[in-house]
Amino acid sequence: MFRNYLKIAWRNLMRHKGYSAINIAGLTVGIAACLLIYIVVQYETSFNKQNKNYRNIYHIVTQSVQGNDVSYTPGITVPAVPALRTDLPEATIAAMDVSYGSQITIPAGSGHADKKFIEHSGVVFIEPQYFDLFDSEWIAGNKAVLAEPNMVVIDKSTAIKYFGDWQHAEGKFLKMDNLIDLKIAGVIEDVVSNSDFPFKVLVSYVTLKNYPNNYNYSDEWGSNSSNHQVMLLMPPGESIESVNARLKVFSKKHYTFDIRGTFNFLQPLSDLHFDTRFGNTTGDHITSKATLFTLSFIGVLIIIMASINFINLTTAQSVGRSKEVGIRKVLGSSRKQLVFQLLGETTMIVVTSGFLALIVAKLALPYLENISSVPKTMGLLSAGSVLFLISTLISVVVLSGIYPALILSGFKPVLAIKNKITAASIGGVPLRRGLVVAQFAISQLLIIGTLVALNQMNFVNSADLGFNSSAVLVIPGYTDSLSLQKMGQFKQQQLQKPQVKSVSFISDAPSSDNNWASNFYFDQAPDDVDFTVFLKAGDADYFKTFGLQFVAGGGYAPSDTINQMVVNETLIKKLGIKNPKAALGKTLRIGGRGVWAPIVGVVKDFKTNSLREEVKPIIIAPGKRVLSLAAIKIQTGSLTQTVAEIQKLWEKTYPEYAYNGYFVDERIAQFYKQENQLALIYKLFAGVAIFISCLGLYGLVSFMAVQRTKEVGIRKVLGASVGSIVYLFSKEFLILLSISFLIAMPIGWYMMNGWLQSFVYRIDLGAGVFLAAILLSVFIAGLTFGYKAITTALVNPIKSLRSE
Amino acid sequence: MLSLQHLSKYYQAGGNKTFVLNDLSLDVDEGEFVSIMGPSGSGKSTLLNIIGLLDEPSEGYHYFAGEAVHLLKEKQRSAMSRGYMGYVFQAYHLIDELTVYENIETPLIYQNIKGSERKALVADILDRFNIVGKKDLFPSQLSGGQQQLVGIARALIAKPKLLLADEPTGNLNSKQGDEIMELFLKLNREDGVTIIQVTHSEKNAEYGNRIINLLDGKIESSRVLNHQ
Ligand SMILES: Nc1ncnc2c1ncn2[C@@H]1O[C@H](COP(=O)(O)OP(=O)(O)O)[C@@H](O)[C@H]1O
Ligand SMILES: [Mg+2]
Repeated sequence: MFRNYLKIAWRNLMRHKGYSAINIAGLTVGIAACLLIYIVVQYETSFNKQNKNYRNIYHIVTQSVQGNDVSYTPGITVPAVPALRTDLPEATIAAMDVSYGSQITIPAGSGHADKKFIEHSGVVFIEPQYFDLFDSEWIAGNKAVLAEPNMVVIDKSTAIKYFGDWQHAEGKFLKMDNLIDLKIAGVIEDVVSNSDFPFKVLVSYVTLKNYPNNYNYSDEWGSNSSNHQVMLLMPPGESIESVNARLKVFSKKHYTFDIRGTFNFLQPLSDLHFDTRFGNTTGDHITSKATLFTLSFIGVLIIIMASINFINLTTAQSVGRSKEVGIRKVLGSSRKQLVFQLLGETTMIVVTSGFLALIVAKLALPYLENISSVPKTMGLLSAGSVLFLISTLISVVVLSGIYPALILSGFKPVLAIKNKITAASIGGVPLRRGLVVAQFAISQLLIIGTLVALNQMNFVNSADLGFNSSAVLVIPGYTDSLSLQKMGQFKQQQLQKPQVKSVSFISDAPSSDNNWASNFYFDQAPDDVDFTVFLKAGDADYFKTFGLQFVAGGGYAPSDTINQMVVNETLIKKLGIKNPKAALGKTLRIGGRGVWAPIVGVVKDFKTNSLREEVKPIIIAPGKRVLSLAAIKIQTGSLTQTVAEIQKLWEKTYPEYAYNGYFVDERIAQFYKQENQLALIYKLFAGVAIFISCLGLYGLVSFMAVQRTKEVGIRKVLGASVGSIVYLFSKEFLILLSISFLIAMPIGWYMMNGWLQSFVYRIDLGAGVFLAAILLSVFIAGLTFGYKAITTALVNPIKSLRSE
Repeated sequence: MLSLQHLSKYYQAGGNKTFVLNDLSLDVDEGEFVSIMGPSGSGKSTLLNIIGLLDEPSEGYHYFAGEAVHLLKEKQRSAMSRGYMGYVFQAYHLIDELTVYENIETPLIYQNIKGSERKALVADILDRFNIVGKKDLFPSQLSGGQQQLVGIARALIAKPKLLLADEPTGNLNSKQGDEIMELFLKLNREDGVTIIQVTHSEKNAEYGNRIINLLDGKIESSRVLNHQ
């Protein structure tokens, strides 16, 4: 019996090649898209779960409330570490200080000169207790080595990178940032890619004490760097609420002297990968739950669309199959047997599509890294993805097979044999219309999403930042005394090049994702101001290099220490000063131990961070000690050649360092990596959805055309024009399209308006986007069925009537 | 073997009933060959479908092989039809996607007969009907007469007690029609299959041992023929 079913199923597929191809193509694309989405979502949700203490590890983070301002940082002050050990004695606490860019030098040895490596991530000063929290496999050494200063542990692939093999790494030496000599005291296995702690060069935390200036290491309670973070392991059974209550008491006790409203609280490890309040912490990236939800939602929509195609085409076709069903019933088939047969056919199509989808997904997988953080090496097949594929296939069979099977098997044999079954009599017409509406609505929703996301990203990428970010090259350098000495000479030599317009040593570009925050004092007042100020340091050429505009006063004179300051409009507005000129000459003091210095200029507001954030109150001041970046404004034109020349000079000036320059505007574009990816995802999946719905539409129109050939013939004999017949076909679809728009519009508005809220600076969600969406879908639908409708209308009526 | 008593079939059309069969009574014995005649629309097909358990009467009593069919449930009736009936249609009603062989085999599949046994039965009947050479062809590749032969072979494969044929020769020329009628006669005489056929042809009707004339859902006349 089973063989017989398979045979029939196969022959049916072949007899209706066109419809089968449409069904299979739609399902293949749909299933492949879902599979890829699954892999992304699965990858993102698997972060950090490999640690056996996953449930009991927390990140201590800091919340600062200042008036209406609530700000979050993953950082915690240095003196808080021993204090936490005292106040939370049952917790295991591990402090770390993350470096977001360090140079590792392997000293010259037998047969090679100095080897220099720039490590943008994975370098950290860390306490040995870290390994009580996180699982790690030691190949050489053990965690105890990290209790001593000037010790470093590296991972296997870094060992291979530095020394060619990992077996002989232990006991060798390396130099960090041309400053610290470190002895390799251990080697660990590489951390898996789905970890937010991808450390590969782990320096003992106690080393940090000897280099406070170089790493902004301060033992003041008032100084908090987001690089300095603490992880903690609680014994099982301790509730997060009770620990948070104790941390509240802890915060009240310790953050007294000049920071107000600062509290520590626990962020569970299970939240860390998804908590966008803290930005990127120690890992490569974080992902908001909303993004994952959107992605999963799109996946579900796409599977629904593919299933709808299937239902539509199958029920439409079922009219043609009623005779077979009738005969089978007369020959003794039970309804159950028929349902099995028809479901078998569906299963065959779905399984075929499943296999094709695997191939499509396999081919697409390497490109996944363009729209997600999934590594290139990620495999397609895992227990999870196979299970997902199987359950998707089963749900598609159920979603798309049950209804047509029930309809068909329910035919009365006498009627079915007499061919008295029509599309109308099986009652599927309203359902089919409903399904077409659903399909249209889904594509329109995705079109709206795409248009809004692309518009916003376009807005963001071309927004006026309030300063000139183009053609400014930034070269990270170092602040050791020798490097600082060479500054003036380097600057003079660069400026001799005609293509170099301006050179400035800075701590930070005007727009950046760094936040160097501090409390501050204004106008000789004894108490600090009740909001935080953000600092950017630069020499006197900062303003010229970035084209900042002054609304009052001007830049400061060259100086090695802070003796004059420039502020932005936001700062004086927050201080309640209306006229910028009135601010000139007033004095400011940064932090409790700073010196008073007068305001000499007020710059027009520029975007201090990404467009997700408000413009922050800013102080720009000189201060040679922290100027680690060289910013060089270049004449546009022969950029590549100029950059090469600049690099040559830089390497000559600082032979002990590796060159690592980048353009400011490229770095700014990096702020929106996730958003740009999301826009790309929308574009891609809207494309998939449109493709699937076009397939379905085309199938349905072809079917209608076949069904109505006779009607069209009669109408033409009676004198109908081609136009009126095309209208006959299009009218219904236009109505359905309009209904679906009425559904898609509010949902699309709600969804995309929510997404736009994550930007402080954003486009208006006007009628234009929605108008464009409906015009686009009318156009696409028109293209899809127009051809079929016209060819049907053009058929010679004698032909179509004779065939009856 | 079959007894219909005061059987009526009507359709509700805007308040009033339209009778297709009206208080009809009929008995058919095992081994009979009954021909039903009557003008178009007189209810012949409806009667045949009711006898074949493909349709239900609106009123009346229906006994078949000693069972009160009007009291049976849907499932039991379909089990009964599977065991006892074979159907032949004017339009053949072969499954277009199946070969001759597979068409004939299908009823056996629904009766859960084993593969090897099915093979033997189908081979046997192909041989008997002289269509072995056509077994791998699809219905569209056969002439009308050949298709009807396949239809009859399919109806007989499961050895039914009762063969129901609704205008089996209606789409055939007279030579093909005669061959089918000879076949029916042989089945009736030699194999003892009870046959009820609907026909428009007086000549074909006379192959039977009884001719029933229907008019407006009632038996207008009935005549018994005496063959040698
Ligand atoms: N579903 C139905 N609804 C209403 N009338 C029907 C239906 N099916 C059959 N009839 C009517 O029943 C009558 C008898 O039909 P049928 O038994 O096919 O006649 P015959 O086979 O004698 O030509 C016809 O007049 C037909 O119109
Ligand atoms: Mg009839």
